[in-house]
Amino acid sequence: MKKLASMLLVAGVITSVATADSAINAVKVKADLDKVDNKSSVWSGAKFSDVTLYPQTAIVLNDKKANELNQQAKAIKAKIAAVYNDSKIAFMIKWPDGTKSVQQEGKTDVYGDGFAVQFAQNYSNPKELPYIGMGSDGRPVVIHLQKATGITFEPNGNGDIEHQINPNQTIFFEKDLANYKERVKTVGNADYQRSFISEGFRSMTQIKDGSDQATMNMNYDSKAWSGTLSRSLKDSNLNLDAATIPVAFAIWDGAKMGRDGLKYLAPWTAVILKKGDDTLVNALHGKIEGDVEKGKEIVAANGCAGCHQVAPTDAPSLMAPSLVNIGGYASADYIRESLVAPNAAIVGGYNRNAHSNTPWYNLDNGKRISAMTDYSFLEKGDLDSAVAYLKTLKVGAK
Amino acid sequence: MSKRQLAMVMDLNKCIGCQTCTVACKTQWTNRNGREYMYWNNVETYPGTGYPKNWMDLGGGFDAAGDLQPGIIPNLEADYGVPWDYNYDALQGGASFEPNIEPTWGPNWDEDQGAGAFPQDNYFFYLPRICNHCTNPGCLSACPRDAIFKREEDGVVLVDLDRCQGYRYCIAGCPYKKIYFNPKISKSEKCILCFPRIEQGLPPACSQQCVGRIRFVGFLDDEDSQVFKLVNKYKVAIGLRTDYGTQPNVYYIPPTESPVKFDANGKIIPDSGRLPIEELEKLFGPAVHASIKTINEEKQKRKDTGASELMDILIAYQHSDMFRLDNNYYKQVAKEKGRNPLAPVDNRYIAGKFTKGGHEMNFFHGGHDNTSGGHH
Repeated sequence: MKKLASMLLVAGVITSVATADSAINAVKVKADLDKVDNKSSVWSGAKFSDVTLYPQTAIVLNDKKANELNQQAKAIKAKIAAVYNDSKIAFMIKWPDGTKSVQQEGKTDVYGDGFAVQFAQNYSNPKELPYIGMGSDGRPVVIHLQKATGITFEPNGNGDIEHQINPNQTIFFEKDLANYKERVKTVGNADYQRSFISEGFRSMTQIKDGSDQATMNMNYDSKAWSGTLSRSLKDSNLNLDAATIPVAFAIWDGAKMGRDGLKYLAPWTAVILKKGDDTLVNALHGKIEGDVEKGKEIVAANGCAGCHQVAPTDAPSLMAPSLVNIGGYASADYIRESLVAPNAAIVGGYNRNAHSNTPWYNLDNGKRISAMTDYSFLEKGDLDSAVAYLKTLKVGAK
Repeated sequence: MSKRQLAMVMDLNKCIGCQTCTVACKTQWTNRNGREYMYWNNVETYPGTGYPKNWMDLGGGFDAAGDLQPGIIPNLEADYGVPWDYNYDALQGGASFEPNIEPTWGPNWDEDQGAGAFPQDNYFFYLPRICNHCTNPGCLSACPRDAIFKREEDGVVLVDLDRCQGYRYCIAGCPYKKIYFNPKISKSEKCILCFPRIEQGLPPACSQQCVGRIRFVGFLDDEDSQVFKLVNKYKVAIGLRTDYGTQPNVYYIPPTESPVKFDANGKIIPDSGRLPIEELEKLFGPAVHASIKTINEEKQKRKDTGASELMDILIAYQHSDMFRLDNNYYKQVAKEKGRNPLAPVDNRYIAGKFTKGGHEMNFFHGGHDNTSGGHH
């Protein structure tokens, strides 16, 4: 026993992988979770866990100013808790943000802070979860998004033509005109909350059929945001009624022009509803076997850096997804799967027309075939080490 | 790439900068609902800052390797200009005439300034700009949500407002900065080439209203269209900044006519022209030389022989020749796609490869039930 313990200690030193943040213990409550915000009393008994969110760098978008602002982005440490009752589950995420940014009606280049919570539609096999960045082909995710915005209007004004007219072109003057402007305001909606289903970057589509029953809120206080989500444990898109579920989180910093892929991303995190089954917890938060130093050599020897960015540089990673934060937001199983079965989950990446000479995948009868070599020939020990090394690739927190 | 491509040719020798196109577009599409600052069509003075300010320096488009280039999203106050209005309402009560905000910038702030020294060699010309409905659109390639598409039937580039999430990468990706963010609905919007009019066989509002008759509209594969002849037969119409790599489908007849320069004593310098060829090269690339040569040769031919098809086209005698849209084609497309086309409202411009005979409906001569149409 003593020997085993010392072996584990050695292994711990060798891997030197800062193990992932711990799982989130959801607390069962009797309270109604239909209307939850950060002030709700249900949070007094909740258990908050530390979850680190890493800058999404697999793909770099084409906003020059935003890219400059985010070049040195560090990870953000958030505190997340979950509570549930027989029909609903609610999450609260608290994260530091020194600047409150709200997207405003009269601005073209101002972005709102925001957060999102992502669920896998099928999570029965923890080794084959959807790609963390909005799912992947055949592995859909449901995403709930809340952004800090001023009043936003529907493009077609919900068919209300009368209140889309320029005020100067109405027949109204003075008091009537003021009344008209007030009426127009009531047509808008101050809550920018959306739910999506996505099978990978680019494919995200808003759920508009009313099948999604979710409430989100976000509140800014003392240089930090608190965001809450309350949704059904079960609806036609998602069944979260299980012992443990994988959940992922994203936050956006409007002051850094964050939106879409320009975000901070947490890895799949296990949320424990009922104790007993540790499969998912171990898969997402367990110790990672392998020798980091050896893994570094294997990654170098196999020429991964020929296409992937392994260390940060100024140039965008066009050949393949950048790996500089892969250890932050990808699970060990995802990294392993990508090495031995590159076609299993392909990052949608850029519009193929944006970088036509460096396609990340080719299409064969509509099926995506990764441009990457299959590394299933690696011996298990080497593979473990490569995974352990890749899990160390991430920036530090603020 | 779409099956067919609609294109527009603008003759810069004839643009008088009257902004009728700008107003035609604005009153039709952008005078309301968060679009107030947008000019899907604008006419800027060249050389000048343009709209939005210094748009040519804001990135986007593709490099020689075909990689989309990063770009900058313009600022409403500094680069577009916040639209202002006046206190007409308060004038009755004796108030003085005041703008509702202090105007600090707007489109055409530097109108007619141009470059050079007055009176020796000052010069400028007008550059009307709409969305180029590119064959390789930068906006489409930049969109991370696949919300921008190019219509199969005519290559018109449109935003699917249902998919658009207002990320604005399209604005960074468009080198012409002809796609705009609508902050009211938090989505991107752009010139739609008046597709509801086009589908009825009517030219876009900017083209129909143009008093200088500088705009030709037609399908690039319609060999009888004047657009085809200007672009492909005579090769006198050239895309703007084709070095951006987006393959624009709005073409320009470069300005060939300009007054002579004066010397220091105010005397005419014979055979001089005020438009520096380098400026035209910057806008239209090396092809501008051949274009100018052809135009001058055809002009001479017309003088000598009295006949030149190119000169006849550029004189723009008939709208019906300038606009070859194809209502029957759209009807065919609508039938194939199971859409129900509306009846055409005006048949003056409807003539095309797929069009035979007239049309059943005629807006101006009865036959159309106008009672349901409201007008504010």
